[in-house]
Parts: sequence; structure tokens; C-alpha cells
Amino acid sequence: MMHHMLSKSVAKMQDLGAEFCDAKYQKIKSIGIQSVNGDIRHLSDKVMGGVCLRAWVGGRWGYHTSTSFTADDIISAAETAVANASGSPKGNVELNVKIIKKSRSQNVKVHPDDVDMDEKVRAVLDLDSSQKRDRVLNRIGSYSEEINNNILINSAGSEIEWEEIRTRFRAMSVASDGQRMERYYNGPDGTCGFELIKNADVESLGRNTAEEAVATLRAKRTPSGPMTVISDPMISGLLAHEVMGHASEADEIVKKRSFLTDAVGKRVASDVVSMYDDGTVEGAHGTIIYDDEGTPASRTRIIKDGIYVGYMHTLESASLMNVQPTGNGRAENFGKRIWARMTNTFFGPGDRTLDDLIADTKKGILCDKMVNGMEDPVGGGFEAKVLRGFMIENGKITDMLRSFTLTGRALEILRTMDAATKEVVFDGGMCGKGIEDWVNVSSGGPYCRSGMIVGGG
Amino acid sequence: MDLSEIAVSSLRHAKDMDHAESYVVRSVIRSAYIDGGRISNIETKTDSGMCIRVANDGRLGRACVTLSDEGSAGSCARSAVRVSSFSPKNSMFRGYPSPSRSLIRTDVFDDRIDNITDDGLKEILSAVIDSCDTDIPRGLLRLSTIRSAVANSNGLLTEHRSTMMYGHFTSMFRGTKNGEGTESVHGTSLTLDPERIGKELGRKARASAEARPFRGKKKITMILPPCELGDMIMSSAGSALNGENVHYMRSPWTDKLDTKVASDVLTMTDDPGTPGPLCSAFDDEGTPSEKKVLVENGVLKSFIRDSFIGSSTGNGMRRNSTDAQNIYCSAVGIRPMNMIISAGRHTREDIISQTDHGILVEKFAWPEADPLTGRFGLEVRCGYLIRRGKVVGTVNNALMMGNMFDALADIDLIGSDGENMGCITVPTMSFSGMELAGN
Repeated sequence: MMHHMLSKSVAKMQDLGAEFCDAKYQKIKSIGIQSVNGDIRHLSDKVMGGVCLRAWVGGRWGYHTSTSFTADDIISAAETAVANASGSPKGNVELNVKIIKKSRSQNVKVHPDDVDMDEKVRAVLDLDSSQKRDRVLNRIGSYSEEINNNILINSAGSEIEWEEIRTRFRAMSVASDGQRMERYYNGPDGTCGFELIKNADVESLGRNTAEEAVATLRAKRTPSGPMTVISDPMISGLLAHEVMGHASEADEIVKKRSFLTDAVGKRVASDVVSMYDDGTVEGAHGTIIYDDEGTPASRTRIIKDGIYVGYMHTLESASLMNVQPTGNGRAENFGKRIWARMTNTFFGPGDRTLDDLIADTKKGILCDKMVNGMEDPVGGGFEAKVLRGFMIENGKITDMLRSFTLTGRALEILRTMDAATKEVVFDGGMCGKGIEDWVNVSSGGPYCRSGMIVGGG
Repeated sequence: MDLSEIAVSSLRHAKDMDHAESYVVRSVIRSAYIDGGRISNIETKTDSGMCIRVANDGRLGRACVTLSDEGSAGSCARSAVRVSSFSPKNSMFRGYPSPSRSLIRTDVFDDRIDNITDDGLKEILSAVIDSCDTDIPRGLLRLSTIRSAVANSNGLLTEHRSTMMYGHFTSMFRGTKNGEGTESVHGTSLTLDPERIGKELGRKARASAEARPFRGKKKITMILPPCELGDMIMSSAGSALNGENVHYMRSPWTDKLDTKVASDVLTMTDDPGTPGPLCSAFDDEGTPSEKKVLVENGVLKSFIRDSFIGSSTGNGMRRNSTDAQNIYCSAVGIRPMNMIISAGRHTREDIISQTDHGILVEKFAWPEADPLTGRFGLEVRCGYLIRRGKVVGTVNNALMMGNMFDALADIDLIGSDGENMGCITVPTMSFSGMELAGN
């Protein structure tokens, strides 16, 4: 039924003059459970569904999105989408669309629909109670699952149906000594089913989170100024994502807004740096089967041994730059615009161990977990807020340091990167384009050593 | 069926529950983008959905659905009832609001937004582009009409309608060094001035391109205009005033009612009677809103609360100040409708002229302070250095460090230029004793 309605809307948009058009139906089912101090604070079951129709006319997109999709609604939506393709014309740009007719589901071991709500609630409460400690003011446990079903039909002849499943399990403790408050968080996430929770050691996850929150109460103020910094995989990932990732989204390149415009073939980092965006990493939070334009996910090499290699594309940016789309045309949901977006973005591994890196650092800072970061595609700047860190003096860890901020010029940081460890670790989260349009991503990397400006508040 | 009928009739599916509440919302959103200096995507979005919350013997459940057919409301209620059966008893929940009259009158609906056409949107964006003497690589103007209704098993039924304008633009100066400017607009009526926005975008991008990296480290007075200060206040004082954070004792202002938390010059109120994007006679749970003094001459006077925390002050909100899409999926959270910092008598120029050693920050990477501790370390992307009352240069690549709770307790000057930044209206303010560090 839905296939038929989407096909009719595509035919209608073509009749009205769309050079290319697509129609997508999306249904997102999600469950969220959150506890605070032993009480269930939120327990919700959400079902969102809607259609997004896009018409491409004269190099302009017109969109109509709707949560109502009777036969009449969908025809009227098709008319509006074509009428909306009335911005400034860009001339003849033909979109290069591969025809795909496939139906795919995500591989999960335990589908969340097959698990009783009771078991999910119990996992959250167990995570909450395992954080009980002196000086822990707030124990927070949370679980979320999202099952995202998509049908996409386009005027090139593609008919694709796919499912994405994500789960996340997280503990956060807030500790206080009566004067100060500090927090710590931990927990796994990924494109997987309830096996994420079944495989987790809930007791030790909660206990460790609480103990680290309490330990952070004795952290000292971080010194300010230029320093040698060993970024943990989370901060390495943030550096990859915020600094080079956003600036490598090709819609920023075609507008010449990115400092990496025309950078292909140039040295942008030391030769220990390789970087990728890879939507196919099994189980990572940013993994997708197809992007929201129906292009299969792929692995894009962005930096190879310090040399800049390439960009992440939508259908539009790929056509404008005469290359193949890379499966990075993504939208927050059916109601939002498609942009060039990252999937799983990370630095490749090096050949060192963390112990070796610390022993080899005379004075520096080791980072432990991120708070957030902000991109700067125009200026090539970098800002990362770090939850806490450790001072390194004469090759040894000394004091624990409370939250601080890292900044610097992207290319200067990457040129000073002189060592990386062997293991790449991913961390899932949400990424906005500017200040909205949130999509599921992950970022990661090994521990990396470079020079940055450090500031503690 | 109109929204009130849907809200009321959906409650019958939850009639066996001790408490039930239905929130129904319908939005129409028109938006247009600027990409690479040209108007590109134009979008029409229609969005309707509902959220049902139930409580039975202290067990809470919530379900949300898009309203795609006649069966949606029933399935939403059944889901809420089902999930509540899995919830342990909650020790805090006391019930949803009872019907009550609001004394607040709001004027938050503009027919010009409700009736905007493609051509109308394009005309505004063209005027922004034409008034800017640099490129505008990205811009968005979003105009929304929101209609909603809340009904609950206590017999409460309230309705709300509003319009909302949100715009965000970035400009770019291309030269030997590129520079970026940004401008945001928030409001409930179509009052934006495209020419002013275009000119400001051009000025800011040029200034950013002229900025030079800051070197060294120094104690400095920080001057923040409304666009940077709004989020700094919301993430610190806004979080400290939130009744949920107070209840769980993670607000640094817990137990500080009627004591001094800020400088004498600071007075903050939440005033739903003003034309802010969230302002309304009732909050999104149906509790009447009211004007509240939060901090008076530096003394903490009250917190804001929703029905879950109890003694609701009419601050249980689902809506946000930028986007009207998927509102029904948002959990009720405690937010001010329009938190106003009383303006002072100084112009921004006065504040600069009275500053011996300072920086006026035009753009942080992302202005925010840690809600628990107030600490911040923020990258300055464009700032004007001030010496002996005069601007002496433009800098970037620097970290501004301090603590926002300490800063509020040591305010230098408050400007007269209050500006609405969504759910907060703030003037320019200056704070001494901050630390600025560069390479």
C-alpha cells in the first residue's frame, strides 16, 4: 500500500516537471527509560511516521513533508514539493543516481521487540542501584532503543526498503563533597539489538561510574596554555569529527565554505595521520545500510598518511563535483532536510601503546572523556570540552585534572600529531549540522599525541 | 475533529487509569534556505501528533504518536497504559494540574506568518542577501504556526495557538584570511529587519577576517552581547533555577532561597505575558502561567517547576523556541517562558568606554557554562580587545576561562539593550576577573 502511494507521488512529481524526485516513508519506533535515584523518571513509547517528498527542478530542491498520508494528501504533497522547487536556478545539473531494488534488515542477535519491557526496566534499575555510594548525589540509569523502518522510491527506478536498529545503555553519577559537584558517565551503544545490554556487566558499569564521579571530586584545576596533549579515543574522535569531518562534508566544499576546499592532494597532517568516514563499520552507532537518498553506505578515505584525499557526498554534491556519491546524504528524520553528514568518523591506528606514549611524554595532559565539541569549517578552529584528565610529568601520571577545554588550529594540531596507539575505539552520539539537524554518528580513533591550547575554567 | 475534541476523546481510552493527560499539537512550518548565496531549498511541512501520559497507582507511562489516521489516538492511549504497567511505583508523582484560570494575556500570533507564501519567504531572504556585502554560504528562515490542546482526567482543557519565527544565517568574507559572521533571530511575529541582518552579517565576517591570534595570558573583563550571553545564563542560572535540579540537589542554588546569589544589580523575572516564542497563558501541561521574580537585586526569590516536581509555577514545557516539528515527542521539561534580566542604563558603547582592560566577545565557538559547576573554557572566534575604554584590535584563537556563578556574583555593568534570544531576554553585560589565554 505504502509502496503504491509513494510510486504514485513520484509519478505525479515527474508529470509536473521534476527532473528527479524521490519519496520516502519512515516509521521510527523508540523506547526510552530513565531512572533517577531509584525512581523511573521517564518511561516512553514513541511511534513517529511520515513521508518526505523531494523534487529536483533546475538545480533546486522543493520539499514537502507530512505526517498525514492518505492518497489525496500524498498527491497534494507531490504538487507542493514541485512548486517549492522555485529557489534560484543553478542550471542543468543531472543527479547521478544508481538504480537499486533491494530490501535489507539489520543483523541483530536479540531484536528489541522480542524482549519484555520488564527486562528493560529491570536493567535500568539495576544500573541505577549499582551506582549507590557515599557522596553520590544522583544515580541516573538510561536505556534507549530505536527501530527505524524506511521505504524509498525514486524517479530513477530505485525501490529500497531497510531497517536500522540502535540501542544505548548509560550510567551517569553526580557526586558532591558538600562544596563541589562533579559527574562521570559511561556505557555502550551501537547499531545492535538488546544483546548490548545482555553482554554488559551492569554491576561493574554502575560501580565504576560512581567511583569515578567520587574520585573526580579531588581533581585539581587544569593549567592553561599550550601543552602536549594525549587525546583518548573519544577526544581523538571529536578531533576527527569536528575539525576535519565537518569541513570534509562536500556541501560545504561546493559552497567554498570549508577551509579544505581544494585541499585534495595536499599535506594537511603529519604522516602518522590517516582518517576515514565509514558507514559500514559493524555495530558502530553511526552505521547505516543506505543513506536517506538511497545510496549504499561506504568507506571514504579522507586523509592518507597526512595527505588529504577526499570528501563525503550527497547526490547533489557528487554531481556538482563529478564524482560518485558516498552514501553521506542524511537527514534527522523524514521531516528534515538532507545534508552531507558523517557516519562513523575516525583516525586510523598507529603502532604505539598507551603506556609507552605516557612514558615518552615529559610534561603533558592525558584526556578522559568528552563533554562536547564544536566545528569551524570556515576558520579551521577546534574546540573540545573534556570531562577530566590527568597530568603527565616526567613520563608518569600524577594529578587528576577537572574539566577543561582544548582548542587550536586544526592543521597545526594535526601537523604536531607525532604518535598514535594501536587500538581504534568508537563512541556513539548525535551530531548537528551547525546547531540543529541531529543524526546518529560515532567517532573514534586511538590515543593520539599532539600540541593544543588547554584552558581550565 | 479539532484538537480539543481529539484531546478529550482520547482520554476515554485511558479511563481506567487514576490519572491521564492528552496533549495534541498540529504545526505548519514553512522554511527556505540560502546555500552559497542563493535561495535553494524551500520546504512545506505539516506535522501533527499527540502525547498521552498516564499514572495508575503511582506507575507512570508515556506514549507519543504522529496522528496519521483515526486509530492513532486510541493506539497512543493503549501504549501509554501498557508501558505504565511495567513501571515501578514513583514516589514523587502527585497528579496532573486541575482546571484553573490564567490572568495572563499573550499576543503571540501573527497572521503574516500563518499566511506566508513561497514568494514572501523568497522576498525576505533576497533582501538579506542583497544587503550583505559578503557571501552568505548558509542561511535559514523558518516560520511556524503551532496549535495545541491539553486535556486531562481532572477535567482540564486548555488551548494554545502561536506563531514562531526563527532565522539563522552565516556570512563569509573571502580574502587572504577568511572570516565568518553569524546572526540569529527569534520571535513570534514577522518583525525581522532583513537589511539590518544583511549589514550585520557583512560587518561581522569582515571583523572576523581581520582578527589576529591572541598571544599570552591575562586577567581581563569579559563583555558579552545578548547573542553570546543568553546561552551562558541559561546553562548556568537557568539550570540552577530549575526545580528538578533543585529537587535532586544538583543545583548549586539548592537551599539558597532568600540568600544572595548574584550582584545587587541583577534582577531576573520569568514573564509569560511578553511576546517570546514560548510565552502563553498556560504551560504545555495546562497550568496557568504567571509572572515570577526569580532573582531580585541579587537575592534568590523562587525556582521554576512543573507538575511532576509539584507546586507547578506553569513552566512545564514541551515546545522549544526554534523548531515546531515533533513537539509531541518531547518530554515535559522545566523551562522559563521568557526569562528577562532587567536592563541597566548603559549603552554598549558606555560599557566599552568604562572598561580599562577587556574583551567584547562577538563570537564564541559555543557559549555555555557547566550547569553543575558554572565553569567554562570557551574558544573566542572573534573578540574586540579593549584598552582604556577603546577598541584596540580584533582577536581570535583564544580561550576565555571563568565561572559563570562567580561572574554573576561580580557583575560590572548591565546594558540597556535587552534582546530576546528564544526563552531568555538579556542585555549586554560585563564581568571582571576572567582569564584569557592564547598560544
